[in-house]
Amino acid sequence: MFASKPKGAEPVTAFDKAAPSAEYPWSLLSGPKVWRTVLAPALAVALAFAVTALPIAISGKNPVLAYWALLRGAVGSIDAIAFALNKSTPYVLAGVGVAMCFRSKVINIGSEGQIAVGGVAASWIALSFSYLPSPILIVTALLAAGVAGAVWAGIAAVIRLKRGVHEVLGTLMLNFVGTLFVSEVLHGPMGEIGAGFPQSPLFSQAAWLPSLFPGANLHMGIAVAVVAVFVCHLLLWHTPFGFRLRVLGSSRNAAAYAGVSFARAVLEVMLIAGALAGTAGGIEVLGVHYRLIQGFSQGFGFNAVAIALLAGLNPIAVLPAGLFFGFLEAGALSMQREMGVPSSLVFVIQGLTMVFVLCSMGIGLKQQRV
Amino acid sequence: MSTSVLIELLAASVRIATPLLLVALGGVLSENAGTFAVGLEGMMLMGAFGGAVSTFVLKNVVAGLVASVICGAAIAAVVAVATAKFRADQMVTGLAVNILAFGLTSFLLRGLFGGRAPVIALPTLGPLAVPYLSRVPIAGQVLFQQPALTYAAFLLTIPIHFFLFKTRAGLTLRAVGENPVAAFSVGTNPVSVRMAATIAGGGLAGVGGAVLSLQEIGTFTDGMTNGRGFIALAAIIVGRWMPFRVMLGCLLFGAASAIALNIQDWGLPVSSYIIQMTPYLIALAVLCGVGRATRMPAAIGKPFTRS
Repeated sequence: MFASKPKGAEPVTAFDKAAPSAEYPWSLLSGPKVWRTVLAPALAVALAFAVTALPIAISGKNPVLAYWALLRGAVGSIDAIAFALNKSTPYVLAGVGVAMCFRSKVINIGSEGQIAVGGVAASWIALSFSYLPSPILIVTALLAAGVAGAVWAGIAAVIRLKRGVHEVLGTLMLNFVGTLFVSEVLHGPMGEIGAGFPQSPLFSQAAWLPSLFPGANLHMGIAVAVVAVFVCHLLLWHTPFGFRLRVLGSSRNAAAYAGVSFARAVLEVMLIAGALAGTAGGIEVLGVHYRLIQGFSQGFGFNAVAIALLAGLNPIAVLPAGLFFGFLEAGALSMQREMGVPSSLVFVIQGLTMVFVLCSMGIGLKQQRV
Repeated sequence: MSTSVLIELLAASVRIATPLLLVALGGVLSENAGTFAVGLEGMMLMGAFGGAVSTFVLKNVVAGLVASVICGAAIAAVVAVATAKFRADQMVTGLAVNILAFGLTSFLLRGLFGGRAPVIALPTLGPLAVPYLSRVPIAGQVLFQQPALTYAAFLLTIPIHFFLFKTRAGLTLRAVGENPVAAFSVGTNPVSVRMAATIAGGGLAGVGGAVLSLQEIGTFTDGMTNGRGFIALAAIIVGRWMPFRVMLGCLLFGAASAIALNIQDWGLPVSSYIIQMTPYLIALAVLCGVGRATRMPAAIGKPFTRS
């Protein structure tokens, strides 16, 4: 019934008031809008930077100068910007998938494993079918990456639906299996013989992602990510499917009452998120490393979750949030070179930002019952 | 496989299980009170850092252990405040403090000691044979020729089991994890109980980290816990949130690690990565209901708010 009626925000709120969901602490449909979408994340980021000044001072450096070096490093040159955009690409792709999942209260934290298997699939195509013409090879490899990621996420969705294993635990465990799978193939069939580091042979140039602009060290991935963001935005806000996700996210009871199938929605949203994350893994190996490398997906899953939350689970907002993370990491590397401030600082900032964002989301819950 | 190799393997399993066990026991406290312990990895890493740095600077292992408790508890305090007070999502907060602890330890290591990758070398704590018992064939060699902290960790399982299941305070803790509203109605403050349980668990996880840095490896390196906190999390699931079973889970995963370490020497036909996957696959299988049904603490993951 409602499923066939797109753009119906009122019924959601009406159902929400009638039967408040107490299952998960995501109450994105409450509180003033400006606070939720702009002020709260900005405040969280500012607080994180302020608190991080403390360890910088402890290590005997001037926090203001360090942050200035970070800013210059992030946006100071065309190369720096290209580097940061490349870094942001997988974060945005995986992050927008996570945002869609969290919207429907499907807590998928499995991007890391999905990226890992996506990378393996893309590498396998790139290495096995290197005789194909370049565009066909690249598209096939990325499609394979998406399918692999979707399958990996699908496993978690199926055991959630069939065996009642919470998707948080399922995706968490599959992350480790996925990253170990990368190590396994690199020490077996796909490893480069005689290399000092666990990695695959270099792909043939036909499999390399082309540059977006001639001369710039910026691969096409960011364009794919931007398209994905807009497609997800349309899906979420302008289709019956997106409406089902939002109903499910605001109240499972309301969703059941409105005839929204929980199982179908969970499966669909997990497959989409998995495909996006898998594609991110494919882009990472084809566009950045030109080979499969052990541990290439390290930390991506966390960043995807962090970015989705920082974006308030809004697909469009994932773009700035993801770029923020990419520029932050790129800037930190340059800060390390210039100031001798270790780049691991960036993890402190990211971790704190997350904690503060989560707290601000939790505060919005005061009205909710146990 | 000869007997001596088998004994060596079993002894190694017990040794490797030690940090896992301490971390998992910390997680048992936290999760039975209703807070998912995804942050164990970060608490353990912070404990490993605090333990190694304090021991190195103060030249005193006891000071190092105390510092590891404080460091683990400090990270846990962040989780406790964010999840219990601010009702932040427990899973994601756990992930956040993991990354926070990774950044903080790596940053402070360089900030305090200078250089790109400073080395703080420490003598590892050697084995301590228990008189008489260590001479028992096989069992003596496996169980009673271990380093001091290994005995401490395994003995600690007993008081924690006793606390959880035989004391009033333990009952209150579990009640908060099962039904915080009911606990609140009889005068318990679920927020305080959860915070206390999480912070105490963080202290234990911190010691687990210190066991790794002081007893097993003898230095601190970036991200040295390397997923052990998550293996402990898997052990909690396999052990169905009960201390003694969790201990068995840790021993099982310790054995898996010991096999993975030695797999090349023995020429087994599986790769070490497949073996390293087993803890997560076993945990998934247990969650899927292989064997008996799993029952998590009923209110785990759900924030408490007064209605």
